[in-house]
Amino acid sequence: MPLAHVDRWQGRNVRLADVGRALAQLRDRDVHDEDGPDLRTSVLTHLVWVPERWRAAVEEVLKGLDERHPSRAIVLYPHPEPERDAIDVEIAVESYRLKGVCRHVSAEVIRIDLHGRRAEAPASIVSPLLMHDLPVFLRWRGQPPFGEGPLEQLIGIADRLVVDSTEWDDLPAAYPRLANLFDRVAVSDIAWSRTQRWRRVLAGLWPGIAELSELRVRGPRATGLLLGGWLRGRLGRDISLALEPDETITAIVVDGIPVQQPPGEPKTPSDLLSDELEIYGRDRIYEEAVRAAAL
Amino acid sequence: MAETDQAVVEAENPLLEGLRLRRRPDPCALVIFGASGDLTTRKLFPAIYSLAVRRLLPERFAIVGIARTEESDEDFRQRMREAVEEHSRDELREDVWQELAAGMRYVTSEFDDPGGWERLTRALNALDAERGTNGNRVYYLAVPPGAIANLADELGKRRETEGWTRLVVEKPFGRDRASATDLNERIHCHFSEREIFRIDHYLGKETVQNMLALRFANGIFEPIWNRQFVDHVQITVAESIGIEDRAEFYEQAGAIRDIFQNHLLQLLALTAMEPPIDFTADSVRNEKVKVLRSMQTPGPSTVVRGQYGRGFVEGEEVAGYREEPRVAPDSMTETFVAAELYVDNWRWADTPFYVRVGKRLPRRETTIAIHFKRAPHPPFEELAAEGLRPNVLIVQVQPDEGVSLAIGAKVPGQGMTIRTVHMDFLYGGAFRTGLPEAYERLILDTLLGDATLFTRADEVDEQWALVDAIVAAWQRDRPGFPNYDAGTWGPPSAEELLARAGRAWRRN
Ligand SMILES: NC(=O)c1ccc[n+]([C@@H]2O[C@H](COP(=O)([O-])OP(=O)(O)OC[C@H]3O[C@@H](n4cnc5c(N)ncnc54)[C@H](OP(=O)(O)O)[C@@H]3O)[C@@H](O)[C@H]2O)c1
Repeated sequence: MPLAHVDRWQGRNVRLADVGRALAQLRDRDVHDEDGPDLRTSVLTHLVWVPERWRAAVEEVLKGLDERHPSRAIVLYPHPEPERDAIDVEIAVESYRLKGVCRHVSAEVIRIDLHGRRAEAPASIVSPLLMHDLPVFLRWRGQPPFGEGPLEQLIGIADRLVVDSTEWDDLPAAYPRLANLFDRVAVSDIAWSRTQRWRRVLAGLWPGIAELSELRVRGPRATGLLLGGWLRGRLGRDISLALEPDETITAIVVDGIPVQQPPGEPKTPSDLLSDELEIYGRDRIYEEAVRAAAL
Repeated sequence: MAETDQAVVEAENPLLEGLRLRRRPDPCALVIFGASGDLTTRKLFPAIYSLAVRRLLPERFAIVGIARTEESDEDFRQRMREAVEEHSRDELREDVWQELAAGMRYVTSEFDDPGGWERLTRALNALDAERGTNGNRVYYLAVPPGAIANLADELGKRRETEGWTRLVVEKPFGRDRASATDLNERIHCHFSEREIFRIDHYLGKETVQNMLALRFANGIFEPIWNRQFVDHVQITVAESIGIEDRAEFYEQAGAIRDIFQNHLLQLLALTAMEPPIDFTADSVRNEKVKVLRSMQTPGPSTVVRGQYGRGFVEGEEVAGYREEPRVAPDSMTETFVAAELYVDNWRWADTPFYVRVGKRLPRRETTIAIHFKRAPHPPFEELAAEGLRPNVLIVQVQPDEGVSLAIGAKVPGQGMTIRTVHMDFLYGGAFRTGLPEAYERLILDTLLGDATLFTRADEVDEQWALVDAIVAAWQRDRPGFPNYDAGTWGPPSAEELLARAGRAWRRN
């Protein structure tokens, strides 16, 4: 969908009331467009927690996402170093041209830099900015600091936590800690979505695969562990797992026999996240795979 | 593997659980009769290609085109490639196209040439062997209506013993109740109702299906979706184009057979039907047919017909209907129909459904508008509320697919002035994946064997019964055609239809 225009607002050291006012002003500006006011059709609030090292990657994914999920994205950049306690905000209201219609539809991206102690209570900063009555998806870049304040608080206001365990260093040890969250928030894992096309191929091997004893996966460690966990859980068997690192899943071997490549191209990071934002509710099969991944 | 064995293996497979698997159709061959025609070029192939792009076609799949035009397999592939490039909503991807093209064959034949049938059988058998299509067949009859019965006979006589067979029939289905009954009987000689897919492509449109979502997935509409709260319903299927080069067809059909009998009555049935117990083909169609059966036969004073004369559409002067090429200069074919219809049941008794269809109207639009009753006693001064109209819920089927609700709101400032404002939900704004074309959904459903969005024999029968009754009354008079200018909303009598009850058509 073509981008029609972007309206921006920036503020240093602001209060949340300033942000609310700025949003209203930006919206008001659109009313006077010759094409009439921009449409806002909201389906969710997309909350993103971005430690410094993920900043560039997030921008890339957001670019691919905005035009697919018309909603409010709130991107939080924590800077816990204590130089100053402040909130800096940048708002971009992006308007996209709708095909065949003389109207634009807008999406809001609110980038918030949380300095010093402001990074300690993010939920209180985000809560006033959430869209009423709509689900909140929390995308956490990198390995979440399980048990720590910001994660605990943000989980409290989110309906779904979206992670990508291929971004984690501490595997498989982190999986049981993730599993502890399952009763509190629905979780999706982009690493798990990446395995989906391969899971389809593996499911096609039924009933022969029922007796599987050895699985080899060449690909990211997380995807291999999850596939192993999935097969253990689903087949109810002890399966030995051999992993060979690679950027994406490139080969799977079951009991010495290579599995056919899945058809089609793997999805882009934006597509994968976009798919996750369409799922509501818990994914029991994923939860089972996570629990069995650390065995 | 037979369909049931496959289902058992799938049911036992623990690895399938939670895999968001779209059901993939069984291996099969799609045979298109009329492969050189307009429908195949503009709609069917672009839709098939879009299904291929999304990997929704069967893994083992083949297409055989048949028509009189002399063509080789390669010519057919080339022509269809151009059709996809010109008409598809998706860019042509070489890998997807090559995979599809590898399974494409073409048979040149007159439909009544026995040699042609043999060539077709040979081609299909060869495809079963080469591509594993297992004797499963979808026969798509994209042919002139007069050819359908004979084709169904021939196909019936030559039914494969292995695999399943489905027959897809384009509209129009018959030209009156008697001919539709006859056609149904001829087809039923060889095919069961489960195997017959009668196309009404309106049912493939996302917004038409959204009508069901709107009504039955939202708790707030159903309680007020009845005679207690609804003043009346307006359904408009307006086209700004004329008859293009379809004069022969249109002279025979007119607006009542072209649009009213099928699309319009289907929209009405979906608007008025009771909630089905589930979304299976028979539950949905049972409810629709009940609506069609409850419809009163309209008297002559509640039906208006029109024919366009010269006028202006989008700033351009256009010819009157009788001046169109190959139209009789004294043609009595109607290009406009408006009617006041009633559904005689507990939900809708005495609630008028005003419907209109027509060509050369000011713009292309298909809408269903539910006009609610006025607020019983607005506590504002008359002047303050003069801009206030009753609430209207508008389902915009095309273009600008969406839903809009007209509500009264206070004009900012001193005093209490009320105006009607529209709250819009635009489909494209909420779900930005491009909307699939109606034919994509319908072709996929025929491959899957899901008949929910196809018209059943008894629906067709009821639709024709109503149309026959209207047309019978028309035999008795000769209106002074043309009676509306191209680019206007039909003859003045269409306005009077509503005006006598103190109502008016929606205007924009
Ligand atoms: N076009 C649309 O947008 C549209 C929309 C809704 C419904 N429909 C319905 O779809 C059907 C097809 O419409 P269309 O517009 O595609 O018609 P069309 O352009 O006239 O095409 C008719 C096709 O049938 C073939 N054909 C006719 N008689 C034949 C015979 N005796 N033997 C062999 N082939 C024969 C023609 O082959 P040759 O040209 O090679 O002779 C041609 O391929 C009609 O029932 C129409 O009402 C069409």
